[in-house]
Amino acid sequence: MITQIDVRGVLARVVPDHLTDLVTRPTGRAVRSSIEEELALLTGRTVVVLDFSAVRIIDCSCADEIVAKLVAASLADAGRDAFFLLRGLTDEQIEDVEVVLRGQRLALVAEASGTLRVLGEVADQARLAFARLATRGEARPEDVAQDLACSLEEARAALDELVVRRLVMREAGNYRPLTAA
Amino acid sequence: MSAVVEVPQRFDERSFEQFAAAWARADAAAKIILDAHACEWISPYGLVALLAAGQALRERGAEPRFTVPRDRDVAHFWGRMGFFDHARELYELHGTVPRVKAGESKVLLAITPVRAAEDVHTVVHHIQEKSAAILTGELGLDSRATIGFGMALSEACQNIVEHAGTGGWVCVHAYTWWKSTRVAVIAVADAGVGFRHTLEPTQGARYGERWGDGAALEAALLQSMSRFRDQGRGQGLAGIRRYLGRWQGKISIRSGTARIAIVPPWDDDAPLTEGLAPFPGAQVQLVIPAGAGEPR
Repeated sequence: MITQIDVRGVLARVVPDHLTDLVTRPTGRAVRSSIEEELALLTGRTVVVLDFSAVRIIDCSCADEIVAKLVAASLADAGRDAFFLLRGLTDEQIEDVEVVLRGQRLALVAEASGTLRVLGEVADQARLAFARLATRGEARPEDVAQDLACSLEEARAALDELVVRRLVMREAGNYRPLTAA
Repeated sequence: MSAVVEVPQRFDERSFEQFAAAWARADAAAKIILDAHACEWISPYGLVALLAAGQALRERGAEPRFTVPRDRDVAHFWGRMGFFDHARELYELHGTVPRVKAGESKVLLAITPVRAAEDVHTVVHHIQEKSAAILTGELGLDSRATIGFGMALSEACQNIVEHAGTGGWVCVHAYTWWKSTRVAVIAVADAGVGFRHTLEPTQGARYGERWGDGAALEAALLQSMSRFRDQGRGQGLAGIRRYLGRWQGKISIRSGTARIAIVPPWDDDAPLTEGLAPFPGAQVQLVIPAGAGEPR
């Protein structure tokens, strides 16, 4: 299941005077709180697309309060099977979000210019595995091992790290990237 | 005993040290007069610093006086920047205060108080809605730089809300830098507790004997340290640094007796200066040069 969340829409709902700018921690907390209420209604495995397309500014404080804290809370909640995918950020905003995530050793997937990429901190081999998976669309560990010229164990470890970090999905022995389509 | 603190004839971040030294000497005086009658030019930094000086004097119970610039055009400029609207709450004003509306002309952002997160929204919204055309048109900033400008402005203002322990002011204006470069400048000042005080509980022990205003500024600006133990904190100044790095901008922060700067190739400021005259709170200046059309 895929759930699209228009972050600007959330902002307009919770802080009506601030229609397009995600700035300050109190605003970030209010937006996150509203998103968490939506997430609490979800059941089963869900790709949550956080769409920032209509947001003009997102400062680092808001990036931390919304993106980093949502990811951290999701990872800490074993009962929640949510995978986050960011969409609609500019290159500069992606860089800022990436630094915020790295600072807390977190990672998530962003869609930019039609391609998927991992933002934040993951092991090099896992990042390479993600790139192969994003290109292939779906793969078995054997495929990734062949692509990366590494052992099957190394490929499986890299893919499993991505699964644990909720950056890819594993279904029936196959691994596949998050898609927002 | 009364003391007169002269506002430099050309009052910007550089001549601020001259002002701060005089201000520190006058600190114990029962009556203090800030004399700007001979001032001929002032930067946004100078304007908000004067309000911070008044705030500090008020908080210690003084009733400072302020002499308005003698030059009519200069006083009008101060009026358009909104200085007198705020100064009359802090100072007993002497001289002719012009009747002009703050924010007229090409002022990017007249002096605006920053006391709460709500004020930060107001400031950012104003810059994006009213001033983007000046930033892109007159200064030739790339539209991406204009968006980042709002982010940097937000983080600089939030620094007051989260750390100063009091309110402060922000002002944004475009003018010609002393080396003839056209720039947009964000100036933020408060008379709060300063970086050293705010970081001491979490960072002081790490630095040991080195701890002081300079070390606190290094910890905040260069190492993204925060008074909060939350790992997500301390990103605001780091975000400003990245933005300025992309667009060849400059940041300087003065707090207590030290001043730190990240200096782009077009300027020759000192990276860190310690042992300055003590001045309360923090004063921050961000400078974006005109024609910052391509990110680095």
